[in-house]
Amino acid sequence: MRVTSMLPDMQYAMQQSQQNLATAMQQISTGLRVNQPSDDPSASANMVTALAESANVDQYTSNVSSLLPQMQTADSAISSITTALNSAITDGTSGASGTDTAAQRQGVANQVASILTTVVAQANSTYSGAYIFGGSETSTPPFVAASTTYTSANGSAANPLSSTTPLTAGSVTTIGDASTGGTLNFQAAAGDTIATLQTAVANAVSAGTLSAGTTATINSSGELSISSNSSTEGIAVVSNDAALGSMSATAGTAVANAYAYVGNSSVNNVQVGDSMSVATNLPGSTLFTSGANVIGSLSNLITALQSGTSAQIATATTAISTASSYVGQQRIPLDNAINQLDSQESYLSQEKVTLTTQQTALVGISTATAATNLSQAELDNDAVLAAAAKVMPQTLLDYLK
Amino acid sequence: MSLNTSLSIAVQSLSVASGELQVTNNNIANANTPGYTREVAVLQEAAPTTDGNLSVGNGVELTAYQSVRDELLQTQINQETTAQSGSNAELSSLQAIQPTFTTSTNDIGTEMSALFSSISSLSTNADSSTSRQAVLTAGQNLATAFNTASNTLTSQQTGLNTQVTQDVNQINQLSSQIAALNPQIASQKSNGQDGGTLQDQQDELVLKLSALTNVSVTQTPTGETVTTGNGTALVTGSQSFALQTATGSDGKTQEVLDQSGNNITSTLTGGNLGGTIQTRDTTIPGLLTQLNTLANQFATAINAAQATGYDQNGTAGAALFSSGVTTGVIPAITAGNITMATTDPAAIAASSDGSSGSSGNLTNLSAVQTTALPSGETPSDAYASLVYQVGSLTSNANSESTATTASLLQLNDQLSSVSGVSIDEESANLITYQTAYEAAARVVSTIQSLFSVLQTMGTSAAE
Repeated sequence: MRVTSMLPDMQYAMQQSQQNLATAMQQISTGLRVNQPSDDPSASANMVTALAESANVDQYTSNVSSLLPQMQTADSAISSITTALNSAITDGTSGASGTDTAAQRQGVANQVASILTTVVAQANSTYSGAYIFGGSETSTPPFVAASTTYTSANGSAANPLSSTTPLTAGSVTTIGDASTGGTLNFQAAAGDTIATLQTAVANAVSAGTLSAGTTATINSSGELSISSNSSTEGIAVVSNDAALGSMSATAGTAVANAYAYVGNSSVNNVQVGDSMSVATNLPGSTLFTSGANVIGSLSNLITALQSGTSAQIATATTAISTASSYVGQQRIPLDNAINQLDSQESYLSQEKVTLTTQQTALVGISTATAATNLSQAELDNDAVLAAAAKVMPQTLLDYLK
Repeated sequence: MSLNTSLSIAVQSLSVASGELQVTNNNIANANTPGYTREVAVLQEAAPTTDGNLSVGNGVELTAYQSVRDELLQTQINQETTAQSGSNAELSSLQAIQPTFTTSTNDIGTEMSALFSSISSLSTNADSSTSRQAVLTAGQNLATAFNTASNTLTSQQTGLNTQVTQDVNQINQLSSQIAALNPQIASQKSNGQDGGTLQDQQDELVLKLSALTNVSVTQTPTGETVTTGNGTALVTGSQSFALQTATGSDGKTQEVLDQSGNNITSTLTGGNLGGTIQTRDTTIPGLLTQLNTLANQFATAINAAQATGYDQNGTAGAALFSSGVTTGVIPAITAGNITMATTDPAAIAASSDGSSGSSGNLTNLSAVQTTALPSGETPSDAYASLVYQVGSLTSNANSESTATTASLLQLNDQLSSVSGVSIDEESANLITYQTAYEAAARVVSTIQSLFSVLQTMGTSAAE
């Protein structure tokens, strides 16, 4: 073949070897084999999924980290409550001995009252500003001092509420009963009116959730009034319904030593793994009222100490003992969940290592390979340049004299 | 045979040798001129003189200067140039698009993960306004990532419209230059001469035209007829036919029209113009459709999950993503218009029971990550498909560009083997022709001395 000029081929060879050199340089400086999708489309696509998985694992780890202290707070609150109940049992047992004078019993009653305050304070524990025993009602204290009557902010004699007043869809009105320990969580659906709420209250009374005689009526001032039947069985009401306005206890109707639960029974679950989620809260309804009415039993003991017989004090003390063992049982799943979170945390850190290894395999390059590639590319480039320098300047004219 | 005849043969030799030197000179001068085809002097023996039974050679004649061409190779180079320019045009657009779809930071995939992470984080404390704000911010970042990707694609499309107009202008200019050369070359050829320099110029113009679009060239007595791949005439004889551009019905796309005003956009293939049109009208719209589908289906899925829960105020969850238009005709959500429908952190429908601390509905929002969209893929898989497609398109264009460049280099080597100037060869020729010239000059000088002898003979006789 007749060769006229080697320049174009030389230029092409130089461009190619320089491009290879640049690629090798980029690989060694970034540690990545795939720097853009076109370097390896399939690996890049897999990387999208791998990164999403990795982000999930990071988030699960962070969830575990933020859940652990929250659940530990709950655990230590329950522990304090158990301790408080045990001292109430001691007090109750001494009060039931029948040797104490009325004044001494009153003194014991006062001690139990202070235990009740402690228990309520623990039941209203917060973590990061959220009440941990209110179910999903985390923004208001779940256990509030009970009164016999609650009235709505809205409604007046001139402009009264009526049974046909529509409620705001989605709004929640909660009525807690100190005596039964039950709670009615009424969420208004579209089209619901005060009459619907009244029916719900009546149904809750029939079901035993609320004490017999609890009613929701429109009072003479045109307000919605929810009241308990007797002066010793209080209720507490919370509502976020705009049609009603906030519900507040009518002055002078407070019931001593009675607390009602105005949280709900919702349990929040948090994902801490692709197929693992843990219940993060123990609703007050489950913990303190559903099996044994913990707070009610303390109130009963105070009443018995103040005005009851030794037998009544003994019965009330037994009730606290039952409540204490019930609370102890409820603590078990919580402790299990804490252990689960601990082991999940180490699993996640292992998983993170696996995913990182997978990502490196997908788009990374080992330093040894990158260094070998670079030195090979340097060698090739040197060879091309040396060959070009040798060949290009030579012509016949160099030899003609 | 007389001395005069010999002298005339020698003078003829001198003239031929200087003609050869001139060709060599011209070859050396144009050794690096693009498109130059080396020339050779075509020699033939002069008709012999017959004297009785004797036939004597009459020297040499320079019959023509001829360019050494290979039309087939030239055609192959034109075709390969068309292919190379086409893939280069696609490659440069895709390379501009590609960074938007990398898997590093701020891309759609990363922002999507960040949104789901923020939702998961909110589930640990549904009442936290900081966590709620984080979800809103992550949502906005995702919307921005969609917007950026969409803008990159559409602005590339807009840029390609300008490219189409420029290419068409260049095609028209080249067509008219080719047409102008046709009569001159035809006239030279009709005189039995080689097209020479003019042919070189025309071949170079056709090569430039091939880089712009796929053309087919036919030789006719009136010169080269040039048509586009689909047969639209560009040059016939001395006449050139200008293509035109017109704004399409969408008010943006530049369509290419033939001289009669017919839309020939979709028939143009290859070359910078073909590659540009392919990218603008097929590749980018394909990616945009996928991107818009993903944005729309993702937003719809999130909004649907919102609707199953309650916001922090206990009211039913409202849409989180919208098209940004709230009055009149509301357009569908696309990657270009997707935005957050709210700036209120309370609007995130985390609650499943109306209470502000419930995180029950966040499970539904999180489930969007692992649930197949109507397209059949999960959101991150759908994005992964998009990344794969952009990568694969770019990689293919790159491979094609590399392959055509190598092939073109090979063809150019072959052409230069036939038509290129070798300085070494010309240097050797220079010596050969110089020697020939010197030898012919020696013959002239010899004959001159013979004439002197004759004249001396006359003088001696007279004395």
